[in-house]
Amino acid sequence: MTFVYLILGTVFGFILSRSGAADYGFIQGMFLFTEFQLYGIIGVAVVVTALGIRLIRQRGRTLLGQRLSIDEKPLHRGNIAGGVLFGIGWSITGMCPGPILVNIGEGKIYALAAIAGALVGAGLLGSLYPALERWLALPPLGVGTGEG
Amino acid sequence: MSLILHGLPPLHWALAGIGIAGVTLALLFLANRRLGVSTGFEDICSLALPLPYFKRAAVISGRAWRLPLLAGLVIGGFLSAALGGGWQPTWALGLFDQAIGWGPTGKVAWMFVGGLFIGFGTRLAGGCTSGHGIFGLANLELPSLVTTLSFLGAGIVTTQIVYRVLFPMVGL
Repeated sequence: MTFVYLILGTVFGFILSRSGAADYGFIQGMFLFTEFQLYGIIGVAVVVTALGIRLIRQRGRTLLGQRLSIDEKPLHRGNIAGGVLFGIGWSITGMCPGPILVNIGEGKIYALAAIAGALVGAGLLGSLYPALERWLALPPLGVGTGEG
Repeated sequence: MSLILHGLPPLHWALAGIGIAGVTLALLFLANRRLGVSTGFEDICSLALPLPYFKRAAVISGRAWRLPLLAGLVIGGFLSAALGGGWQPTWALGLFDQAIGWGPTGKVAWMFVGGLFIGFGTRLAGGCTSGHGIFGLANLELPSLVTTLSFLGAGIVTTQIVYRVLFPMVGL
């Protein structure tokens, strides 16, 4: 299966690279309301994925017959606090997590600084989690904030 | 508008949206996985940091599929550059170069700080554009709607401040 994930990641990365979703200018254009591109991409992706999930749910099984299981994310205060912090980072870098990796692959040198920051940021969150869990009443460590 | 990458024209947004949906659905239908990239940062951290947070079952069990997916994203970017005019390292940053104009050192600092916000924020929110914005919204999950509105809103405010107040550009 490793090969399947590698291929899907490669296709995903190629589309992100060529669509503007991993392009600093198109991300700023989205936030400046001067470019429709990213709103179109996200809108179509969400609607088509929603239709597809309905069909897969009706079948209830994966292609190989495994019972479908979708872990839904918990609702907590970190959704807003973390969402706001991430939005600031998305604007500053012009990259969200997938596109950071795509930009590295494209040869954008500064993307290496972005991933270094992201790993330090995730490491900080992990080390501060016990304190944040009390302060923001986050889900217990075993549950986490949501995977994805 | 063209891409920073070799000035290529972008794919049509509808085609790109359908393609991203195709990858998301393939991941679910073939492998029973919900799309999500930001937990991959935790997977990488878990290789180096011996903290209880990074020893959670969700992190450890996800490494086997998420790390190859992340590697694929890098390969996809590489192929895109190689097939679209040749792969070569670059510092080009489009609008940033025109309006802010900092050199490599400034860009590294700018990107590192932005990266900190991304790593900390996405993991506090429990997901990013893919896990909340695409899969979560498509699966009609309330936390994903709350998170997506939060990061879109914060992104809009930040970029408006950067390019309309701090470093305004004529004609923008």
